[in-house]
Amino acid sequence: MKPSKAVVILKDNLWSNNPIFIQILGICSTLAVTNNLNNTLVMTVGVALTTAFSSMTLSALKGLIPRKVRMIVQVVVISFYVILIDILLRAYLPEASRQLGPYVGLIITNCIIMGRAEAFAQANPPFLSFWDGLTSGLGYMVVLMAIAAVRELLGFGTLFGLRVMPAGFVPWTIMIMAPSAFFLVAMVMWWAKSMQAERQAAGKEAKK
Amino acid sequence: MKKDSMLYVVLFTFVVCAVFTLVLAIANEGTKDLVAANAEFATQSAVLGALGVPFDGKADAAARFAGAVSPGPDGPYRSWSARVDGADYVAVEQAGPGLWGTITVILAATPDGERVRGVRVVSQNETPGLGGRVAEPWFIGQYEGERSPGGRVGMRAGAESSGSADPDKENGRVDGVSGATRTSQSFAAIVDAALARVKEIGGER
Repeated sequence: MKPSKAVVILKDNLWSNNPIFIQILGICSTLAVTNNLNNTLVMTVGVALTTAFSSMTLSALKGLIPRKVRMIVQVVVISFYVILIDILLRAYLPEASRQLGPYVGLIITNCIIMGRAEAFAQANPPFLSFWDGLTSGLGYMVVLMAIAAVRELLGFGTLFGLRVMPAGFVPWTIMIMAPSAFFLVAMVMWWAKSMQAERQAAGKEAKK
Repeated sequence: MKKDSMLYVVLFTFVVCAVFTLVLAIANEGTKDLVAANAEFATQSAVLGALGVPFDGKADAAARFAGAVSPGPDGPYRSWSARVDGADYVAVEQAGPGLWGTITVILAATPDGERVRGVRVVSQNETPGLGGRVAEPWFIGQYEGERSPGGRVGMRAGAESSGSADPDKENGRVDGVSGATRTSQSFAAIVDAALARVKEIGGER
């Protein structure tokens, strides 16, 4: 049985075309927010929802948008959703909003959102675009949460703010600072790329 | 109308912007009171925290705040005067430069500025895990009941710091965060500025 289009998109966005380790998009936020799981979760959920809804909206509007102002309209729609998320966070999750500070507004600069709008929503129906945006956000979330787990565990000795390391544990300060995200992202890329290369090689062997 | 005609492009852009902005304006208007209430609670909990008044939840905080605290004279920063356990205190909001950004604290002290009641960090943007630790209870707790002779609390930062909390409340000195010398020094300057204002406001009465 051939997998349906939705399943293919899911697999693509989570693994074979992951926004972080294959497309290398949205790296700046990876460096900035991943030193703590709570913030990472709120931020990545925000990115996933923004990508999903803006892709859907842009896909629904695509027949009406004149090509000349395509990018302008994309930016308007994306910033609309980001500001909406910011307003909702400030009203219902003031603590998270305070901790994230400027990073919520910076969701708008996340290249994944514009990338999906350009690469997918332009040529696909709204619901599929919504799914594509959501799964892209998930692919982003999975990688960031993994990095944040390592950084928070070694940098603070906690997970989601709960102490897990023994009392005598000396925190690795470097893990809290941005450079550690460079090492960790690079390691994730290395691992994922070599896994994919191995599988490809194995697939070719099997065909012979 | 042709999709690429000037008129269509202008009209379309105008309509899109108008519709999306309208929705945002409605969302903003609808949550305005909630956001204001959150900000109010954040201030009240910081003032009560600095005054050492325990509270349980939003409603309790509002009731205790109304019972013990009254707003002080108008100025560039907010201030409050309060009566807790039969003693008078003055609380002030004070902001100053940290290492990366502005640190805002609320400090409560006796009206003569000679003994700190408590400090709470309202906002800071220091290095997480280093300078950011100034908001942690072990650091901020050093100020609770600390003597501040002449309206100053000394800061042992850098190599002088023991790296852990200074338990002596009478020596007019606290220990800085190790690895965050500059933030600790900035914090001490903000506390001293806040104490000077407490003295000013406390002396007027």
